[in-house]
Amino acid sequence: MDRSIARALGAFYQVSIPFVVALFCVLLTMLPLGLSPGIVIAPTFGLMAVFYWGLYRPDLMPPMIVFLVGLFQDLISGGPLGLWALVYLAVYGVVVSQRLFFIGKAFLAIWFGFGVTILIGGMIAWVVSSLYFGALLSPVSVLVQALLSFILYPVAARIFAFVQQQLLVQA
Amino acid sequence: MRHRFRHADRITRSFRMLSYRFSMSVLLILSCALLLFGRAEAYVFDDARTKTMEFVTPLLDWMSTPVTLFRDWLGNFDDYFDVYEKNRLLRAENTRLKAWKTRALQLEQVTARYKDLLDVQLEPDITYISGRVVSDSGGPFVHTLIINTGRKQGVNEGQAVVDSQGFIGRVVGTGAHAARILLISDLNSRVPVMIEPSQARAVMTGDNTSRPKLEFVSDNAALKTGDRVVTSGAGGMLPPALPIGLAVKMDDGNFRVQPFSDQARVSYVRVLQYEFPKEIAPSTDEAPAAAPNPAVTPLTTTPPPPAPPVSPAPVQTRNPIPPAPPSSAAPSAPPARPQISTGVPVEIRPLAEPDDTGGDEDG
Repeated sequence: MDRSIARALGAFYQVSIPFVVALFCVLLTMLPLGLSPGIVIAPTFGLMAVFYWGLYRPDLMPPMIVFLVGLFQDLISGGPLGLWALVYLAVYGVVVSQRLFFIGKAFLAIWFGFGVTILIGGMIAWVVSSLYFGALLSPVSVLVQALLSFILYPVAARIFAFVQQQLLVQA
Repeated sequence: MRHRFRHADRITRSFRMLSYRFSMSVLLILSCALLLFGRAEAYVFDDARTKTMEFVTPLLDWMSTPVTLFRDWLGNFDDYFDVYEKNRLLRAENTRLKAWKTRALQLEQVTARYKDLLDVQLEPDITYISGRVVSDSGGPFVHTLIINTGRKQGVNEGQAVVDSQGFIGRVVGTGAHAARILLISDLNSRVPVMIEPSQARAVMTGDNTSRPKLEFVSDNAALKTGDRVVTSGAGGMLPPALPIGLAVKMDDGNFRVQPFSDQARVSYVRVLQYEFPKEIAPSTDEAPAAAPNPAVTPLTTTPPPPAPPVSPAPVQTRNPIPPAPPSSAAPSAPPARPQISTGVPVEIRPLAEPDDTGGDEDG
């Protein structure tokens, strides 16, 4: 009895860590970092988290968690509700389907894969929000955001790896 | 035995795959449904948004403190490099400004005298509430800020928000200790503006770029690059004459606004507490009693101050001001009209003469 409770708690802890990390990443995106002058554009740390955990531990980040992370971002940003949820789910789907290809590859390959993935995600976000607002939005800011995220991914991946090694039981 | 295990393993795996596919499709459909539903009935999620904002603002407040400090420090760091050049420029500017100060003081005297002569009702003082920016939307599709002051501090929806450089947006949502600001660059932002010195009117429309468009310009030919763009106060939503930026002519001949403030680097803002002229119910039966001027009635968007009811007629349905002593209420009535510059149409003057003691102008 005790053991099953302990196991349940352990499983909850295991799942909660990537979730909390991803939520933290979303908040980080929302901070007024002022990285780009003139217009507010921040790298999508949340997408990095979804990509990372989808790649290495999809068992700890099921689609439901991905959806909730996206929804959280939508609610704080004040944008269309469902936009980031959709984008994150799509990115997650792409990553999980290409998992076997990526596993065991050098980091450069994974970084490149992230670049492709974020372009796909950005494109979906751009198309969906253009449809939502009924206007052709400027794709420049989307590309800037993708670029910023691409540049910062190695740093984020290092931090995620640290969290994974320190706090999680290896599968 | 092993074979059976493998078989069981395969079943689990295929079951897992199935459940993954199922939850993925359900959630994807759910996201799309949310998008469609939110597009149709945007207000439904307002409450959820406000709740989330209230919930995360303390967290963001805490997280953004070092960010703000670091950015301020970085800004100072920048200043060290061009300290000599800047000093020289500031000295030059100071000399120029001293001359302007003398001129301004003189003009102040003159204006004060004229005001006395004309018995102008002064605009109400604008007070403000300061707040720190704890969050920006971070995304390329929405341009909003969250600040750490809210309803409890007196921030209300619709109020104008400025930073040290100029107007940056207005409050669109409030929590108890948090408020969301829609920036002028956002796709949904529409601000009635006036372009100085030609005094042409326009609507400044955000399109998610750093330079909002100027649309519906009343006098396009009169505009030129470098003209100042200020809020016009038309529509009664924003105080008039708040500086926004400079007009810039684009290659296609249209104008855009280069804002004075860099909204990506806004750290502190002021929410303006501006008492607007209260709206009078635009009923026609009031017009003959209060002011016999038919030109006033269509101007409900820039309403004049509440004309105290001469007779205790039950017209002021939407005016919360108690119908105090009808004759003497006028000077003490708090909401005066925004009488700045030429922003206010002249037609409302007769209505704005509520004190029946005067009336020598109307005859």
